[in-house]
Amino acid sequence: MQQSIWQGIKLVFIKELTAGLRFKAAWAAMFMFALTTLACVSMALQGGVVEPRLLAALLWVCLFFAAMAGADRVFADEDTAGTLLTLRIFGPSQAVLLGKMLYTLFLLVLLAMFITPLFLLLMDVTVAAPLVLWGTMLLGCTGIAAAGTLIAALTTGASVHSGLFSILMLPVILPVFLPAISLTAGAFGSGGITGSYLGGMALYDLILLVGASILFDYLWYED
Amino acid sequence: MITIKFEAVTQSFYGRTIFQDINAELRSGTITAVTGQNGSGKSTLLKLAARFMLPAAGQVSVWEEARELRRAELRSRLAMVTPELRFYPRLTARENLAFLLGLRGITLDDAAFSALMMRVGLRETEIAAVFTGEFSTGMRQRLKLAALLASGADIWLLDEPGANLDAGGRELVLREARQAADEGRLVLWATNDGREEAAADAAIHLAGH
Repeated sequence: MQQSIWQGIKLVFIKELTAGLRFKAAWAAMFMFALTTLACVSMALQGGVVEPRLLAALLWVCLFFAAMAGADRVFADEDTAGTLLTLRIFGPSQAVLLGKMLYTLFLLVLLAMFITPLFLLLMDVTVAAPLVLWGTMLLGCTGIAAAGTLIAALTTGASVHSGLFSILMLPVILPVFLPAISLTAGAFGSGGITGSYLGGMALYDLILLVGASILFDYLWYED
Repeated sequence: MITIKFEAVTQSFYGRTIFQDINAELRSGTITAVTGQNGSGKSTLLKLAARFMLPAAGQVSVWEEARELRRAELRSRLAMVTPELRFYPRLTARENLAFLLGLRGITLDDAAFSALMMRVGLRETEIAAVFTGEFSTGMRQRLKLAALLASGADIWLLDEPGANLDAGGRELVLREARQAADEGRLVLWATNDGREEAAADAAIHLAGH
């Protein structure tokens, strides 16, 4: 009996969400990391005038490193619990990859929705272009989710999993990170929002998504 | 008719040869036992049959008539019971089965789930609200058998399927495996249990190195 890929993605997403809600370690790690970084940045810069570009970089640093604390767990948790073999027996590759990617994106969007208003409030930032800010957030989170899910799958089982994950993530995610900072700075009023950056981010996200989809089959099936 | 072919298969890990030059042809409708002492490579042979790993030398292939089954198609036709197989510890038995079987496009309604639990000797009322992480090893083994049975897979790869089961559970394994073979499924089991070995139609003995 064949399963439609959408149904498979939905099953994986719901399984991840159910397990995540029942064991909130990944959520807690991400949100606490973001909150701690934000509190440190906010206290260190209290009362100072900070340029929009630096503010944008700080926001993305908070988001990126908080994401690193949780995004690598989608496969590592399966490996630790010993359920990876079970998933490999029953789960079609694309449903597993896209379901986990969608769940990571969901977590990152939640994280962005939690951290961005707090950041704006604590750093006293006025947003000149909210739509650009949220568009950038969405595209940035999509890029981190796509790259993070694939690299998490690649590094699962490695003895220095977390270190390897961060090292591999950085070069892959830089083409998302740099325009995201630039666009966020623009949204914070530094002027010069370059629309093509948004297009570039969307295109790179698409490349990551397609690349991950093609490569994952080789990971999931031995031959 | 499904056939698994082992052609001059050798497997080694870190320079240590586990077994070498295995030639065998396993067919639907038969139970084949893989025997040998601990460390002789019984579990490895099962993983090779499922193509979860590739041999160091030689070839393992799975055929349906003249067509080779590979990747997703092969994966969707097999099911395994092995000590390494684990259920999601924070999901109930019903949730685990709904998820895993759902990935294969199989849905279990209440009646089918109840019948399945009864078939493998799990009391539905006792497990309804319990996460599988709280199951005993025997209960987990029975749940693995439930997933195997409900999957409708054509290839059964069983690694010590009677392990952790009481006498009734081991009887269940023998009965279900024989019925599966009679229905035309290919059953390959790794075992050191004399009764399981005797119940097989053929055997591959791994001498160990």
